[in-house]
Amino acid sequence: MNGRGEPTDDAAVVRRMVAGSEAALELIYDRYSSAIFAAAYRLTADRGTAEEVVQETFLALWNRAESFDAAVGSLAAWLHAIARNRAIDRLRAAGRRPPLVALSSAAGSDEDHTQALERLVSGGAVIAGAEPPVSPEAAFDAVGRHEIIRGALAEMPEVERTVILLAYQDELSQSEIAERLGWPLGTVKTRTRRALLRLREALGTEFGPEAGLDVMPVPAGEDR
Amino acid sequence: MDHDAVREQMELAAVEPDGLERLMAGDTPTAQAVAGHLAGCPSCTEELGRLQRSAVLVRDTVQAMPSPDLKARTLAAIRAEGVVRPLPVAVAGAAAAVGGPAVAPTPEPNAAPVPEPIPLDRRRRLMPVLGWVATIAAAIVLSVVAASYLVGSRVDDQLAAQSVAIKGLQEITTATLTVTAQPDAEHVALAGVSDPELYGGLTYSPSTSELVVVASGLTPPAAGLEYRCWVEVDGKREKVGKMFFNQDLAFWVGPSPAISGLSNGATFGVSLVDAAGSSVDTAPVLLGEL
Repeated sequence: MNGRGEPTDDAAVVRRMVAGSEAALELIYDRYSSAIFAAAYRLTADRGTAEEVVQETFLALWNRAESFDAAVGSLAAWLHAIARNRAIDRLRAAGRRPPLVALSSAAGSDEDHTQALERLVSGGAVIAGAEPPVSPEAAFDAVGRHEIIRGALAEMPEVERTVILLAYQDELSQSEIAERLGWPLGTVKTRTRRALLRLREALGTEFGPEAGLDVMPVPAGEDR
Repeated sequence: MDHDAVREQMELAAVEPDGLERLMAGDTPTAQAVAGHLAGCPSCTEELGRLQRSAVLVRDTVQAMPSPDLKARTLAAIRAEGVVRPLPVAVAGAAAAVGGPAVAPTPEPNAAPVPEPIPLDRRRRLMPVLGWVATIAAAIVLSVVAASYLVGSRVDDQLAAQSVAIKGLQEITTATLTVTAQPDAEHVALAGVSDPELYGGLTYSPSTSELVVVASGLTPPAAGLEYRCWVEVDGKREKVGKMFFNQDLAFWVGPSPAISGLSNGATFGVSLVDAAGSSVDTAPVLLGEL
C-alpha cells in the first residue's frame, strides 16, 4: 500500500479491475502507460502508432485480465509483451521492419565488426547496419536526463508545459501554437523561453556545468 | 544584434521543427544577423552548442512521452469496445481454465480503499435512456411551436395537451436522473415479443426500489383494458404498476416493492390485462431479462 492508499501489488489491482473497477484500470494505466508508450515509440518511431499501441494494449488488459498470472511474470512484462506484439503487427502491416540489432551485438568475442559483417553478409543474414549500442554509463545518464526533464516538465506552470508539448510533440511553430491556443505570439515566445530555461536549469543543476547543458552566461561588457 | 537578441532567436529556433538548422542556414536577414554575431562571439557560439545538446535531449524525451489526453482517449475506447465487467461466471471460469488465476468477482476483504466508480459498461448503457427521453421531449417542444401557428380555440387545446405531455416528460426525466444517480442503478432494454416496432427500457435501483419504465410503439388499450408491468422471479409474477400514456410514449415511474433487492435472473415484462382485475398472468407484449 502506498501513501495514497493505493495497492502497490499489481496482482491485487488486476483483481479489482476484473471485478469491474475503473479506478484500478486507471491506476495500472498511470503506472505503466508512459513506459509502454516510450517502448512503442522507440519501435515504431511514430507517435500516432505508439498511441494506438497503448490503446490496444490497455484494451487487451481490460478484456483479458483473467489470463494474467503473477506467478508467471510481472504485469509490466505482460503489458510490454502485448505492446511489442501490437507494434510489430503494425510495422508488418505497413511493410516496415523493427529497428535493426546493432552489429556489435552480433559479433563474436574473437572478431571485430568488419569480420562480423563479412561473416553475416556471406551467410545472407544481414540486411543493413546499425549504430553500436551506447555504453551502460551513457545509457544510465540518458535515463537520468529523461527523468529530470519529465520531472521538470511536471513541475513547471501548465501554460509553459503546454507550449513545450505542442512544440515538440505536435511539432507546431510558435505562430501555430499562438493560433491553436488563441494567445498573442509574444506570449507564446515568452512562455516557450521560460519553459526551456527551466528545463536547462534542471539539467544543469543535476549534471553540473561540465555536461554543457545549462545556460552559458551572457558576457559582461559591450554588446555586438 | 546584441547577445540577448541572438540568444532569444536561438532559443525560439530550438523549439521549432528544424529551427536551429534553418537559423544556421543564414538565408533570412535575421539568420544572417545571428550568424554575423556568432562569428565574433565565442560565448554565444558556446551557448549555441549547449542549446543544441539540451534541445535534442528535451525533444527526445518529450516525443517519447504520451499525449496528455491519451489516457482519456484510451479509457473512452475501453468503455466503447471493452468487455462487460465483471464477466459472467462461465467466461471467467473459462479464462481460469486456460491458465489464468482464479479471480474473485468482488474486491478482496483487505483491498485498498480505491474508490469504486460506476462500472464501465453500465454507465455506457445508461446514456441512451436520457437521450431517448430528450429526443421525445424535443419532438414535443417542436410540436408546441408548430401548434402556435394554429388559431382560435384549437391553440388552447393543443397547448393544454402539450403542457400535460411536457409535464409527464419532466416526471420521467426527473425520475430517470434520480434513479441513475444511485450507485447500483441498472438499465435493461425491453423488446417487443411479437412486434419488432415495440421497444422500451427499464432503469431501476434495487436498493431504493425506484424504477422508470418507458415503452414506444404500444397501441393505446381498448376500453376496459390496460397495460401492466411486472417482475417475474422463479416463475412467480409480481405486479409493478399500470403503464400510462403520454403521446406515443408509455411509461411507469415510481417505487415498487417488487424491485427491492432484485438480482440477475429475473424477468421484467408488460402485459395487456383486464383493467378491472388484478392479474398480470397474460402473455407479455414487452420483455427484458435482468
